[in-house]
Amino acid sequence: MAVTAVHQLAQCITCHAWSADRSMVALCPNNSEVHIYRLVEDKWEKVHVLQKHDQIISGIDWGARSNKIVTASHDRNSYVWNLERSEWVPTLVILRLNRAALCVQWSPKENKFAVGSGAKTVCICYYEQENNWWVSKLIRKRHDSSVTSVSWHPDNILVASTSTDGKCRIFSTFIKGVDARDPKKESRFGELIVQLDLSSSWTFGVKWSPSGNTLAYVGHNSVIYFVDDVGPSPLAQNVVFRDLPLRDVLFVSEKMVIGVGYDCIPMVFAADERGIWSFIRYLGERKAVSSGSRYGSQFSEAFGKFYGQAKLGVSNDAVETSRTRGVVHENCINSIIPLSRQGTQIRRFSTSGLDGKIVMWDLETEQDLLELLV
Amino acid sequence: MAKAERFVEADNAEAIITRIEHKSRKIESLLKQYKPVEALKTALEGTYAMTGDERCKSAHWIVVHRAIMAIKDVDGMLSSLDPEYYDILMKYLYRGLATGDRPTCDQCLRIHEKLTEKAGLGCILRFLTDTVNTV
Repeated sequence: MAVTAVHQLAQCITCHAWSADRSMVALCPNNSEVHIYRLVEDKWEKVHVLQKHDQIISGIDWGARSNKIVTASHDRNSYVWNLERSEWVPTLVILRLNRAALCVQWSPKENKFAVGSGAKTVCICYYEQENNWWVSKLIRKRHDSSVTSVSWHPDNILVASTSTDGKCRIFSTFIKGVDARDPKKESRFGELIVQLDLSSSWTFGVKWSPSGNTLAYVGHNSVIYFVDDVGPSPLAQNVVFRDLPLRDVLFVSEKMVIGVGYDCIPMVFAADERGIWSFIRYLGERKAVSSGSRYGSQFSEAFGKFYGQAKLGVSNDAVETSRTRGVVHENCINSIIPLSRQGTQIRRFSTSGLDGKIVMWDLETEQDLLELLV
Repeated sequence: MAKAERFVEADNAEAIITRIEHKSRKIESLLKQYKPVEALKTALEGTYAMTGDERCKSAHWIVVHRAIMAIKDVDGMLSSLDPEYYDILMKYLYRGLATGDRPTCDQCLRIHEKLTEKAGLGCILRFLTDTVNTV
């Protein structure tokens, strides 16, 4: 079994992030707070509560090098939290947005971070030493709708974004004085490198492969997109699948991607030696749900309930049906975070979702997948 | 200039209609040979019907409708139909359901149930979210 641990830490988790040594996890229990838990003798202990935001926190990222936490919230602000003598001290980052901030990620060097927002913009924030202040620089007029996800290229310059206008875009975020000038990659701040118009509906969960050669993102039409040779002539592949749409993806190696989403179970996609991506299998057991339902999702649960009522004339409790399901997550999984790296491969990762669980997964026991990983 | 463009478009539509008529004859002959699945495949082939105007779409729907209504063994049909046709078939099933015609709806619902079992909810989602390539 690929699941190594299941922790019910809240009613609902909007996002989570791990400390560099993976001993602590920061999560938002669907409110304006960040709770930090530490594993003490097989029990999760709440060690810190970060209170400063006014509304739901939509994104958390914990810098592995700097040990700084950045949060983004629907209250249109971000905070950078720094641990000073066992206290997390917040620094306000004024993003200059008029809509909610929806996602956040540290750049690989952790000297910048990117925030996607409902104001159709991406904010690139960097620290100004002389003013002791995080400055937000906006990429405007590029998106036609909310930015749902951002992802940094390993080169610390390019940022990919997905949006509810159905497109995936890649920008340069070169900032004078922060980034060293590279004469080979001459680009201005906010310059659009590529715009990928592959999906007919909302797009989510963009990620780069470890080398930065491949990009993956998902559409709300149950399609996952893989893009190779990102540049003037990108090579795109669509992989359709039979289940509900995905919400987030993770490259566990150059040739394997784990997708999570509304179907409550991780899906594995892999590329063969010719570079053709395809769906491999589900991670973990996918069991049939009781009461005439076949698909194991919230939708079919309602469907099954409807059928059950029609056939039996009795109302079966929705809570009970969800308990009979064998899968680990009982609701939409909305984030997937790597836990440990072996070179460029990720064998262990964690998922969290609307059911309030954090689940740890390990690919080590999945022999068939390990063969595809390399 | 605008006039010329419209001519081209009309020409294009005429060409599509001719192709659909040709397809219709092919389907009729396949149905006469008791090959309903082959007929359906032929009907679903070619995405040009989705780019045409309403007239082309209607003409194409009549052809697909003919093929859909000729299907008797739904399970057999789905097992010999390639997965690449699932999404387009789903679109036409919903078009059939939208007609409100009793026998058409009966047939489309019967196929819809089996197709959903086979192609999953993702297939329905792709129909729902695709606002560009409508049939």
